[in-house]
Amino acid sequence: MNNLVVSNIRQRPLRTLMSVLGVALGVTLVMLFTGLAHGMSNDLQRRSSNMRAEIIFTRPGSQQLTASLMNLSTQYTSRLEAIEGVERATPVAIQANQTGRGFGFENVEGVEWESFAAINETKIVRGRAPAEIDEIVIDETKARNSKTDVGGTLRLFGNKPYRVTGVYAPESGARIKMPLAAMQDALEAPDKCSYILVKCHNAAEQETVAERINSELPGNKMQLTRDVVVNFEKSIPYLGTFLRVLVGLAAVVSALVVMLAMYTTITERTREIGILKALGASRGFIISTIEKEAVTISSIGLLLGFVIAFVSGFLINRIYGLVFEYEWEWALVAAAIGLLGGVLGALYPATRAANLDAVNALSYE
Amino acid sequence: MKTILQAENLEKSYRVGRVDVHALRGVSLDVHEGEFVAIMGPSGCGKSTMLHLLGGLLTPTSGRIIIDEEDLTAASDAARTDIRRRKIGFVFQRFNLFPTLTAEGNLRLAERIQSDGKGDDPERRHEVLRLLRLEDKMHHKPLELSGGEQQRVALARAVVTRPAIILADEPTGNLDSENSAIVLNMFQELNYRFNQTIIMITHNPEAAAMCRRIVQMRDGQIVERTAAVHIS
Ligand SMILES: Nc1ncnc2c1ncn2[C@@H]1O[C@H](COP(=O)(O)OP(=O)(O)O)[C@@H](O)[C@H]1O
Ligand SMILES: [Mg+2]
Repeated sequence: MNNLVVSNIRQRPLRTLMSVLGVALGVTLVMLFTGLAHGMSNDLQRRSSNMRAEIIFTRPGSQQLTASLMNLSTQYTSRLEAIEGVERATPVAIQANQTGRGFGFENVEGVEWESFAAINETKIVRGRAPAEIDEIVIDETKARNSKTDVGGTLRLFGNKPYRVTGVYAPESGARIKMPLAAMQDALEAPDKCSYILVKCHNAAEQETVAERINSELPGNKMQLTRDVVVNFEKSIPYLGTFLRVLVGLAAVVSALVVMLAMYTTITERTREIGILKALGASRGFIISTIEKEAVTISSIGLLLGFVIAFVSGFLINRIYGLVFEYEWEWALVAAAIGLLGGVLGALYPATRAANLDAVNALSYE
Repeated sequence: MKTILQAENLEKSYRVGRVDVHALRGVSLDVHEGEFVAIMGPSGCGKSTMLHLLGGLLTPTSGRIIIDEEDLTAASDAARTDIRRRKIGFVFQRFNLFPTLTAEGNLRLAERIQSDGKGDDPERRHEVLRLLRLEDKMHHKPLELSGGEQQRVALARAVVTRPAIILADEPTGNLDSENSAIVLNMFQELNYRFNQTIIMITHNPEAAAMCRRIVQMRDGQIVERTAAVHIS
């Protein structure tokens, strides 16, 4: 390792630290956001893919599984069950509940437990199914994250207490489920639900069944579960664009931080650059010395950024239950950004240094 | 004897605002291998300008400089830097050591630049250090050294790469008389032991007296060349 580079970096520990933190910040941003987007959508996808019903029946205005309008009459349930090819139908109401800890929303579902569990092959692993309008069941993850189990209480929809009567598995849809009647009561929407899950006799015939439903109950919206579940990451509009913009910003931040640090460095060391020139150092030598310093700083920032991303991802998961899943591709992108930002940021100060007039630089105070 | 430096009719003017300052007005100088030349003259007469031209840190307005058979004035910027790297060792009044590096670090940096990454020459380094009596100062940073010691490190750094010529600009200008004497002695040692060619700007007549030749300058011109023995 180049002695001059190391001694320069150690000469100004605070500035080195600041530049390192600047690069780390960019890397952390990229890792956390992409990790969160990926983790949350994977989590959602895992839960949705446990859904055994082939068809989701909604009103035309409703969006998807995450929609929370209760605008569908539960009377459709029996009408759907009467259609040929339909084995069973069950109404689901979905409502976003603002979580106490400020970080966004969490969905709660109202279901008719018997039929819902039958369709989805959901089991109560502890306790019993919810029956009263102040009872809920939760999945294992929710139990772990909220440190609540059978017999405990969760407060939903403002501050209403709900007793946890059971824990179910596997996870599927919203982590908290209450009787449909309880949801209708809480939201003052009697006889309404958000969508109806339809299970077919024969999964291979789901398209035919869907068409049949469409002709018998026209004017409603039919979605095949397998289409909805394919890719949440892709189905959230502009998420990809948002991530790319974020990555671009992180790159700019890294480059600016390193540029500023290197710029002040070469101004401060103008005379030393003059000495290098007097010793016969070529432009390439001067540029590479400064670039090596920038790359060293960026590399340290890079490592620190990864560490911060992992630690804070772990802590956020612990505290807020958000799921982070880091991907190699994004880690490489973050690494490239940190390093490239450093190299490009240092390029201007480095060429400026290499172009300094030797005699002037030597007489610089 | 081999001519190691040949300067022909050097002129240099600086543009200051709208006026040209004529710092050098036609200077010619030949230096043989192994010579120790003193350059004297009042402040502002163009001594430093000439030294910077000879070392390729500046380009002359007109004239020609040949160093060890290489034409400095015809060379491109990069080529001039390369000639400087291979042929010239500078010593400055202000020592100009890298403050963050130890004495040894300063020497090694010079070696690394000079050798172009082709490894160093520890034998040469030790010989130079012994000669300049710096063996026990190698791990000190410049600020932990006295002025005289710093200048000896600077001299060691200049000479360790075996330059054809050492160019020194008032090397004792920042030293007390005792340290000046030590440093001057070392210049003389180098000149004597290694047959090192040295061109040294100085205000100090005693320093000049050590040299085989004294060049007097005034107003950008050489006005007198004398053998040192007769200087009073
Ligand atoms: N970079 C410069 N720009 C303008 N004038 C300069 C510059 N360097 C030197 N000079 C002028 O050139 C003349 C010679 O300067 P210099 O070579 O430093 O003299 P010396 O070293 O003998 O004191 C002086 O008049 C000085 O003011
Ligand atoms: Mg001068």
